[in-house]
Amino acid sequence: MAIIEEPLALPSGEGPEKASNPMGAFSRPRKPTGLKDWLTTVDHKKIGIMYGTAAMFFLLWGGVPALLLRLQLARPNQGLLSGDTYNQIFTMHGTVMIFLVVMPIGAAFANYLLPLQVGARDVAFPRINAFSFWVFLAGGLMLNTSWFLGGGADGGWFNYAPNNGITYSPGTGIDFWNIGLLIVGFGSLTGAVNLITTVLNMRAPGMGWMRMPIFVWMTLVTQFLLLFAIPVLTVAQLLLLFDRQFDGNFFNVAQGADPLLWQHLFWIFGHPEVYLMILPAFGVVSEVIPTFARKPIFGYPFMVFSGIAIGFMGWGVWAHHMFVSGIGPLSVTAFSVATMFIAVPTGVKILNWLATLWGGKLILNTAMLFAIGLVTQFTLGGVSGVTHAIAPSDTQQTDTYYIVAHFHYVLFGGALFGFFSGFYFWWPKVFGYKLNEKIGKWNFWSMVLGFNLTFGPMHILGLQGMPRRMQTYDVSQGFSTWNMVATIGSFILGFATLSILYNAVYSYNAWRRGGRRNVGADPWDARTIEWSIQSPTPEHNFDVTPTVTSLDDFWHRKYQENDNGVLRRVATGEDLAQPGERGNVHLPAPSYWPIFLAFSLPVIGYGLIYSLWLCIPGIALVMTAMYGWSLEPADDLDDDSHHGDHDDHATELAGV
Amino acid sequence: MSDTDINVEDIDAAGADAAVAVADATTDHAEDHGHDDHGHEEHYTSLGLSNMKLAMWLFLGSECLLFGALISAYLLSKTRFIIELVAGNPNVLAGIRDGENESLVQEMIAEASVEPIFDIPFTSLSSFILLMSSLTMVLAHKSVSEGNYKNLRIWLATTMLLGATFMAGQVYEFTTFYREGLTYNGTVFGTAFYTLTGFHGAHVTGGLIMLGSLLFLSTRNKMQKDRAETVELVGLYWHFVDIVWVLIFTIVYLIP
Amino acid sequence: MATTASDHGHDVAHDDHEHHPTAKTYWITFVLLAILTAVEVAWSYLGLSGPALVVPLILMMVVKFLIVGGVFMHLQTDLKVLNGYWFTLTFGTAVVLAVCVYIIVFAAFRWDI
Ligand code: HEM
Ligand SMILES: [Cu+2]
Repeated sequence: MAIIEEPLALPSGEGPEKASNPMGAFSRPRKPTGLKDWLTTVDHKKIGIMYGTAAMFFLLWGGVPALLLRLQLARPNQGLLSGDTYNQIFTMHGTVMIFLVVMPIGAAFANYLLPLQVGARDVAFPRINAFSFWVFLAGGLMLNTSWFLGGGADGGWFNYAPNNGITYSPGTGIDFWNIGLLIVGFGSLTGAVNLITTVLNMRAPGMGWMRMPIFVWMTLVTQFLLLFAIPVLTVAQLLLLFDRQFDGNFFNVAQGADPLLWQHLFWIFGHPEVYLMILPAFGVVSEVIPTFARKPIFGYPFMVFSGIAIGFMGWGVWAHHMFVSGIGPLSVTAFSVATMFIAVPTGVKILNWLATLWGGKLILNTAMLFAIGLVTQFTLGGVSGVTHAIAPSDTQQTDTYYIVAHFHYVLFGGALFGFFSGFYFWWPKVFGYKLNEKIGKWNFWSMVLGFNLTFGPMHILGLQGMPRRMQTYDVSQGFSTWNMVATIGSFILGFATLSILYNAVYSYNAWRRGGRRNVGADPWDARTIEWSIQSPTPEHNFDVTPTVTSLDDFWHRKYQENDNGVLRRVATGEDLAQPGERGNVHLPAPSYWPIFLAFSLPVIGYGLIYSLWLCIPGIALVMTAMYGWSLEPADDLDDDSHHGDHDDHATELAGV
Repeated sequence: MSDTDINVEDIDAAGADAAVAVADATTDHAEDHGHDDHGHEEHYTSLGLSNMKLAMWLFLGSECLLFGALISAYLLSKTRFIIELVAGNPNVLAGIRDGENESLVQEMIAEASVEPIFDIPFTSLSSFILLMSSLTMVLAHKSVSEGNYKNLRIWLATTMLLGATFMAGQVYEFTTFYREGLTYNGTVFGTAFYTLTGFHGAHVTGGLIMLGSLLFLSTRNKMQKDRAETVELVGLYWHFVDIVWVLIFTIVYLIP
Repeated sequence: MATTASDHGHDVAHDDHEHHPTAKTYWITFVLLAILTAVEVAWSYLGLSGPALVVPLILMMVVKFLIVGGVFMHLQTDLKVLNGYWFTLTFGTAVVLAVCVYIIVFAAFRWDI
């Protein structure tokens, strides 16, 4: 947020005074290598990779404790975890998974792919892009230091008021949760501004609205949701911050405050949030399925407009999370109906994927399997979602394991399956080699098995009445069998998920031993323009900015109708691919300031928790970083390879 | 290789087409104004808009949701505060829901002497001052895009002065209210009032810092015509903050 | 590096200052705003209550909002620039969204619907 308020934080490269360089009080790092390269990079591809890596780390970090929860519940009356520890673990598990795993993986794909799919040199504001990543990491790490500083938050991932107040949560766990997520939120917000600008304004010539790949569309909707939803969470958290740190009364019931305010604000953010987690995955499978069904996506405009519809309707359903909170009958009715309606555009998407598959020449490789996995598993989650759209029914289900089953089906079976599909699909584009198919198939089938064993039984448990967030249960309650099944399933699922890491290592070694031979530009005979450049993507993306003439432009350049109207291959992807050898492209110069600024923010955060004095150096650091940022030369002066154009961001028809 | 060559040609042709289309679409606006003494070169963008300006508008859109949430938190807290105040009196409580009994409620509030009796003339004056600063801001932008750097500095300085006066007024108001017994943590109302107006104040302060930077750069002759957009962007932010005050002034001060 | 597209981009990307209002317009706008503010304040002193007080105040507030946005923030003139409506579109969406969402919240609290 602060970055944009800063007047001089122009996009690196804005402004003409290259020659006179009046603003350049600092120099920028010159062609760094190794670690320094990664720390100062502003390249959207490297940032994308870092997002992905960090998210995978957090996946382990948040996933292993979840197995502890399952161990605790494996049998009745166990004492493995105390109630307090149990609360902290499920809270931190949910928070980490949502904010530090699913959202960043979405950001990873968006960062890497958006500029490639729209045919741009980079995102609109490369330095802000780096900042978005580092601030996410800084906030995420700060959030997790709570484990070592007195324990994590323990109020569930939504930390309802007044439970989150100082009276009921006197420890610092909630403070870390609150401030850590506030910081993470800055990253999402700047990222959203950046990516929206990129899509709106930096498409390659000819790429009209209805020629954008579905992934671009879904990410665009996602980023709009972020742009408008994050500030609502920010306000909720600021109110909590004032309550906790400065004795405010926003949620102080003793003073007559209404804690329901928190629930409203949280879910106004929260429901768009669930859609912004799933839409990028929808985008991913909408690219994968047509590629491996060898057919164009069925009903492209419907795909686009249903995505937009979801984006809008997602704002009108938040109170379905609050059916039992005592809101009035009119609200309950209205939100119930609205929630049922939102299933319609979602259903449209599922129908279109099925229709794309229908009659296609299916290639069932791992990427495709995961995509089909999303379609099936997500649909199950969607159906249970509709059952709790019906308020009376939800009154029975809410706060039971039925809800837990629902959101794991949509989030794990939906979002994460989609992302895994994307990993297998774009891995060769990013790293130059494919992931091993055989391990991949194991990866997929064991995940499906483990996943359904873990979360399937939770539907039954929930309907039997097992409450969510319960630390243990008694034999007499009759929950024992299915809990045991779920625990066994969860361990299968844990190892299954890990096997993608094993696959990465294995495939990397195989590639190295095989003489590091790259797969070439277009290993899947794919459809969109990112496959028309070499793998791994050259640093400058496109040698020549493509001009787009149709949807699935690359595919149409490979296949054309002959005189008899029969579709025929006229060229291979390798024929058409750009050689990736253009050496004189002017790229944005790296910068120290994004990481510097990002890691200054937690200093203020710790200051708010421990001692306000610490805020002073924190603010000083932030101010230094902002001025450093704006006074740094707009671009690297010594780079004489460019030709007077100081665009590190604008799409250029370079060399034409 | 020959394929690639053919391709490049294709692209060339189509690229020209696209360019022609863009040009067609703009003929009625695209006067060529020689504003670029620095060989300033703009680039093809899909919408033909400046990235920075688009980004600023997106950011301001996001700020709408932020201030919206703050304002509603204020309104709710105030309602709750009043309900709490009169909770001992069920008749009044029912009356509030029906929108009656307002004078009685006002009396009780006055009695409890926790809601400050707003000094409307004073706040009106500071609202007026902030409005005026919007005018001077826009004149600053006008000056810089006309290349009149002296006026730019004058208007920037005036804007800063007006903004600072507004802030001084807020500080004065806060201290007065505090002395009258409205503390930050005493009541729900106090918390909500200070948070909302304080948050707005923080935004004004941020704006002042930006204006200061612009002014500084301008004295060093580094804020020239080709950077007029920077001034415009700061202006957008400044006007937005002003707009928010328009809302706060009516909702917090004028509507009891 | 002079390409056709970027040459045209040059014309396009800079929304023209020629389209921005004149200084005189700004002054008139300001006077208008000042008058509106005066009326607002006066209205609040009339001793009215209920809708008679609130509705006109809200209306005047909205008008001021639109005037500042339209003239000072150039939304009105941007509309005439190529694709300038995008600014209005994004900002407008945000405003409408915020108003709708928060009014529902407020209604849910105030009248227990
Ligand atoms: C067909 C569309 C969907 C419908 C009708 C639907 C409906 C619902 C409803 C009514 C609830 C509240 C249940 C309760 O707490 O009593 C809920 C909870 C939840 N939903 Fe969905 N949902 C849908 C899709 C999704 C998607 C796509 C996601 C995420 C990717 C998602 C994630 C969640 C989460 C995380 C919760 C639990 C929140 C919590 O209490 O912790 N849902 N859903
Ligand atoms: Cu929901």
